[in-house]
Amino acid sequence: MKRTFTCIVCPNGCEIEAEYEGENVLSVTGNLCPKGRTYVTQELVDPQRTIASSVRVLNGELPLCSVRLTRAIPKDRIFDVMREINRQTLEAPTHIGDVVIQDVLGLGSDVIATKEIAKVS
Amino acid sequence: MTEKQAVIIGGGPAGLAAALRLREKGVKDILILEREKYLGGILRQCIHDGFGLTRFGESLSGPEYAQRFIDRIQAEGVEYITECTVLDVSPDKVVTAASKTRGLLQVRAQAVLLTMGCRERTRGALATPGTRPAGVYTAGVAQSYINLQNIMVGKEVVILGSGDIGMIMARRLTLEGAHVQAVYEVQPYPSGLPRNIEQCLNDYGIPLYLSHTVVEIKGRERLTSVVVAQCDERFRPIPGTEQEVPCDTLILSVGLIPENELSLAAGVELDPRTRGAYVDEHCQTGVPGVFAAGNVLHVHDLVDFVSLEAEALADSAAEYILSGSLPACPLEVVAGQDVGHVIPQRCSGTRDFTLYLRVRRPLNQVSVVVRQAGREVLRKKMRKALPAEMILLAVKAAKLTQDANLEVTVE
Amino acid sequence: MQSYDIIIIGGGVVGSAIARELTRYRLSVAVLEKESDVCTQTSGRNTGMLHAGFLYKPGSLKAQCAVEGNAEFDQVARELDVPFKRTGKLIVGFTDEEKERLRYFIEWGRVNGVPGMELIDRKRMDEIDPSAGGSFAIFCPSSGILDPFIYAIALAENAVQNGAVYHLYTEVAGAEALPDGRHLLHTAGRGDFACRWVINSAGLNSAKVSAMLGIPGYVIQPVKGEYFVLDKKAGQFAKIPVYPAPTPRFTFDTHATPTVDGNVLVGPNSFNVEDGEDYSVSQSGMDGLQESGARMFKHMKREYYIRTFSGARPKRIDPQTGEVQDFLLETREDVPGVINLVGIESPGLTSALPLARRVVRLLAEKETLVPNPHFDPIRRGIRRFHEQDAEEQARMIREDPDYGEIVCRCETVTCAEIRRAIHNPLGVFTVNGIKVRTRASMGRCQGGYCETRITALIREELGKAVTEVELGPKGSQMFTGAVKGGNQA
Repeated sequence: MKRTFTCIVCPNGCEIEAEYEGENVLSVTGNLCPKGRTYVTQELVDPQRTIASSVRVLNGELPLCSVRLTRAIPKDRIFDVMREINRQTLEAPTHIGDVVIQDVLGLGSDVIATKEIAKVS
Repeated sequence: MTEKQAVIIGGGPAGLAAALRLREKGVKDILILEREKYLGGILRQCIHDGFGLTRFGESLSGPEYAQRFIDRIQAEGVEYITECTVLDVSPDKVVTAASKTRGLLQVRAQAVLLTMGCRERTRGALATPGTRPAGVYTAGVAQSYINLQNIMVGKEVVILGSGDIGMIMARRLTLEGAHVQAVYEVQPYPSGLPRNIEQCLNDYGIPLYLSHTVVEIKGRERLTSVVVAQCDERFRPIPGTEQEVPCDTLILSVGLIPENELSLAAGVELDPRTRGAYVDEHCQTGVPGVFAAGNVLHVHDLVDFVSLEAEALADSAAEYILSGSLPACPLEVVAGQDVGHVIPQRCSGTRDFTLYLRVRRPLNQVSVVVRQAGREVLRKKMRKALPAEMILLAVKAAKLTQDANLEVTVE
Repeated sequence: MQSYDIIIIGGGVVGSAIARELTRYRLSVAVLEKESDVCTQTSGRNTGMLHAGFLYKPGSLKAQCAVEGNAEFDQVARELDVPFKRTGKLIVGFTDEEKERLRYFIEWGRVNGVPGMELIDRKRMDEIDPSAGGSFAIFCPSSGILDPFIYAIALAENAVQNGAVYHLYTEVAGAEALPDGRHLLHTAGRGDFACRWVINSAGLNSAKVSAMLGIPGYVIQPVKGEYFVLDKKAGQFAKIPVYPAPTPRFTFDTHATPTVDGNVLVGPNSFNVEDGEDYSVSQSGMDGLQESGARMFKHMKREYYIRTFSGARPKRIDPQTGEVQDFLLETREDVPGVINLVGIESPGLTSALPLARRVVRLLAEKETLVPNPHFDPIRRGIRRFHEQDAEEQARMIREDPDYGEIVCRCETVTCAEIRRAIHNPLGVFTVNGIKVRTRASMGRCQGGYCETRITALIREELGKAVTEVELGPKGSQMFTGAVKGGNQA
């Protein structure tokens, strides 16, 4: 089987021609670095993505604190994780790196705060 | 009137990086003027990750990337005023600004650093026909509402333009519960990065229609539908291909324009291709002591390169401030075949510099070539070159003479 | 049911001028306006021209009102704080035929009493505006440009200051005569109103309202015009309105007109439409404007486009011949208690106060009007920060720190101005309402920077929920709710 992948690991966005059988990658061309091969392999076995969203903040200078995942999660679990994120509320102040949800849905990734928000004075 | 060695207009990524580098170079008397309540510029609302891969070797969100600079600004005690909008910059480098707490401020600067960023092209600039209902937003405005203000702009969304912010917003809107029907792009190729097509559109099953545009906006109060049509190679809609798409929201991601009104007030001449200043390799504009970097100079794809460019600016600005002058740049750098624009437009021929350029159209298996009086000084082979991706070339002074202009071509 | 001496249907520039003039007397006056503001229709959708009065047939009401309105406008602008410039106007021509047509206007101008009109040669044209095309021109020194939004708003605000009451979002749906001779007006969802006198100044709907009040038979033909608004960067090339010589049918092709704020309007084109309140702009219309606009104004460049808009002139036409008629202003013995204005189109802006005074005169023929001793003709607008010198700006910020917060960067509009606009005397709370009062978001970025701030200020100042913020007309909700946590963003 042959397929073209657009690698999303870095902004180069290499277009990778891959030959594969099932989950076995036979050859890749077009990638500028070895991460391309890893990416293609992962895409064939279990595509993974990170997401970013926001969580409501109480008593903060801003109404929302941005959050992201510390590690990619299976692509088909994105909306499950979104549901978890939507349930959260934070109390100001928030700090970058604050863990909002530890090991979300047991997927091995944390949801962390990515914004410094002071408490309203 | 207060005096400063350097006044930096805009506390976004370019301004912050420049301030820190100036400081390192021994310029201590700096003032950053930022019109928002917080430092960080547009990064504050870019909450997706992917920032900092080049600079920090990790994938950060916009606010995190900005905070790394803000923390250092605060630790170093760099002076800044937020909620302070610059009203005027005079050619003799007097900066006038308005602030709630400080009143009307006038500062005379040895060097003025223009780091104001860019703004979005609007529906008005496109002159899209139709009505003027609620529900039509530029991507950045929608991003601000959704990511900063906790306000949802709509439910059934169409996106016009495949700029990166538009695609990022397609994903954000989808994650937050809206239904994004499609992205339409008038050009025959995408204007954003390939990875964003993959991870923002393909991942969520959002189709991208190239050579398509919105030809009419409908709805008197709130948007009810848009009419889209296929376009020919000159971007004209092809009659008979019109299709009405019901929606309540139209997001425009149709280009960014460097924000140079203050530059013009200072007497800076702009390059019609970049709509930013003409600069030399020191990022100095035509007005001595006035420098520009980042999106105000030319629109970048990646913030990492904005930081880099601003630091290069600061190196030169520091030299200017401390020694009173910079080497002359008599050589022109000319954008030749298939090159959309180049930065800088002038160089000295005596120093190394980074050359930034964009190609005019997508090309495969090409070389970017820099020549001086017909003599090749640099050649970079590229498997593919896209207008969406800025190209950086390190030009070595050792390869240059001081008597002829440089021409950059893609062949 | 609410009861007033006089109810004016339609709060555009004419209805508001009438309201203002009526408050000079001891009368209770109400204005019923179906839209969210007083300048959303014809009153705000035009070139903003103070006409001199030479375009209209001698003896017509249009001619009389235009000349009268023009002559007094310096004083009106001072009283009501309306941005206004008496720029003069050029109508340029190239051929002998065109010169003949221009002579007509000079003659009409002379008969109508327009001062100072002259045919000038290229040399004089160069002194007045070197960028104007043509080999000769009419120069009319009394023509001017004004801010049409602010003029309508100023009249309405001054009326309110002097006791008139505005009911926005109030569309009259039917009328009947009460046994006591008064009128009863039914509205769409806003209850009933009773009054002794009803004045029809419903613009595009004036024929419809006229019929509703018992005077059928008039026909309004909406004539639409589309425009481009150009950046102030193009404004530096347009100092004075320059019109081309009229066509053989005495209509005008596309022209470029500076606005009082320094933008340029290119347009209007002109075509009949069924629905005058459809303010969409067409591709074919814009294509045409680009072409004809470029002939008249050489800085008609894409990079200067900041917006397009359209408006419609409610022309009263003869139902048989289709010919355009004069303004109609009447009272009728068989339909008592009604003052009817139908077909008030261009030059309606210039004619608003002269028409209002004529309305007052008609009323005075029927009853004794007692002067209102508290009437104050002076209305002050929102002071514009960017129009002040540095010293004054510094002082303004000291007195009210909100002047130090720039909300709209393109037009340099401060938070203090936005707050004042939000608390306007008419109670308009839409984003467009704030825009026309302050110019915030009227610049080149079209709200890219300030719209998020303006909507936040509207919510903050008026305690509106996210889903209550409206762009313009009723139902133009901008937001669907909060991203997180229901509607309580």
